[in-house]
Amino acid sequence: MNAPATNPADLSALSDAELRKLENKIARKHSGMFPWGIVTWAFGNLAVWLALWPLVILEVIPLWLSFIVATVNIALVYLPTHDAQHHIIGRPGQKLYWLNELVGHATSWVMVYPYEVLRVTHMDHHRHTNDPDLDVDITSHADNAWSAIWKTIRQRQPNGKRSGDYLRCLDRHGRQDLILLAIGYRLGFYAILIALAWNGLALEAFFLWWLPYQIAITYILFFLSWAPHSPGMGQGRYRDTKNWRSKVGNILSMGMQYHVVHHLHPYIPLMRTPAAYREMKPILEARGVQLEM
Amino acid sequence: MQKALKALLWLLPLIFGVGFLAPVIAEGLVAAGIAAPFGLGALTFGLLVGGVWGAFATVTGRWI
Repeated sequence: MNAPATNPADLSALSDAELRKLENKIARKHSGMFPWGIVTWAFGNLAVWLALWPLVILEVIPLWLSFIVATVNIALVYLPTHDAQHHIIGRPGQKLYWLNELVGHATSWVMVYPYEVLRVTHMDHHRHTNDPDLDVDITSHADNAWSAIWKTIRQRQPNGKRSGDYLRCLDRHGRQDLILLAIGYRLGFYAILIALAWNGLALEAFFLWWLPYQIAITYILFFLSWAPHSPGMGQGRYRDTKNWRSKVGNILSMGMQYHVVHHLHPYIPLMRTPAAYREMKPILEARGVQLEM
Repeated sequence: MQKALKALLWLLPLIFGVGFLAPVIAEGLVAAGIAAPFGLGALTFGLLVGGVWGAFATVTGRWI
C-alpha cells in the first residue's frame, strides 16, 4: 500500500504554489497509464447490449430480463466515452489515439449523442462549472434528490432547456456542423425505433432501448451531474465540486464520490480517482473543498 | 432547409406518438391479452392514444 504523500500538519506552512505543486505531483502519479479496465468495460458492455437483441428476438431470454440488463448496459455506456472525451486512453498524436476515438464513437451513439458533441459540450462544462449562463449541465441543479430526478425528466420534454443549452454551446464554439449531426442522430434514433415498431418489434425497441435509455439518463445525470455539483455549490476550482458520501456506495454511484478529483485533474482515469483522492485529501482540506468523507 | 428542419423537429412528438407509441401500445395490449376499449382494434386504439398524446406534446411542449 502506498504511504500518503501528504501530511496535514505540514500543509499550513506551504504557499499556494507549493500546495499546487504537491497536488500536481499526486495527480501525475495516478495518470498516464493505459486504462485497460475502461476499454474492456466499453466494448464488453456494448457487446452485451448488442447481444440482447438477437437473444430476445429468438426468444432465448425473456424480454423482462433483457430490459433489466439493457438498463444496466446503457447506464454504463457513458463513463467509457467520458474517459475518451478527456483523451485518457490516448491523446492526439499518441499511438493509441485511434483507440481513444474508437471507444468514444463506439459507445456514445447508444446514448443518441455524437461523440464530438459530448466532448465539446463536456469541455465547456469543465470550463464553466456551475455558471448559470454557460454551464451546459446547469439544468441538473436542484435543492434535493427527488427534485433532481424530476428536473432531469422535465428537461427531456420537448420544451426542456437542456437540449437548447447544448445547441447554444455548440453554436458558441462555431460548431454548427455538430448541431446538424446531433439533430441527425436524434432523427436517426426515431427512424430506427419507428422502423422496428412497424416490423413487429415495438416492445423490443421499447424495452431494449427507449425505456432503458430514459432510466439510464436519469441515473447518469443524478450521479454525475447533480450529486457532485449541487446543491449549494459555487464556482471556482475548489468550490464547484464536492466529495460526497453516496448512500448506495461508490460502485453504484459510478465512482462519482471522488468527482472532485476529476474536475481538478481531468486526465486521471476514472478508476484511479479514489486512490488519488485519498492521497490528495489533506491538500483538498487545506484548499477548503467540501469533503464528506 | 432550416425552416423545414425546424418544422420537422416541432412535429417530432407527434411523429413519435403515431410512429412509435401507437405500435408499442398495440403490441403491449396484445401481449398482455387485454382487449382495446369500445370494441376498437389494438392498433386503432394505439394510434388514437399515441396520436392524441403526441399532439398534446407537440402543442404544449411536454409529455407529462
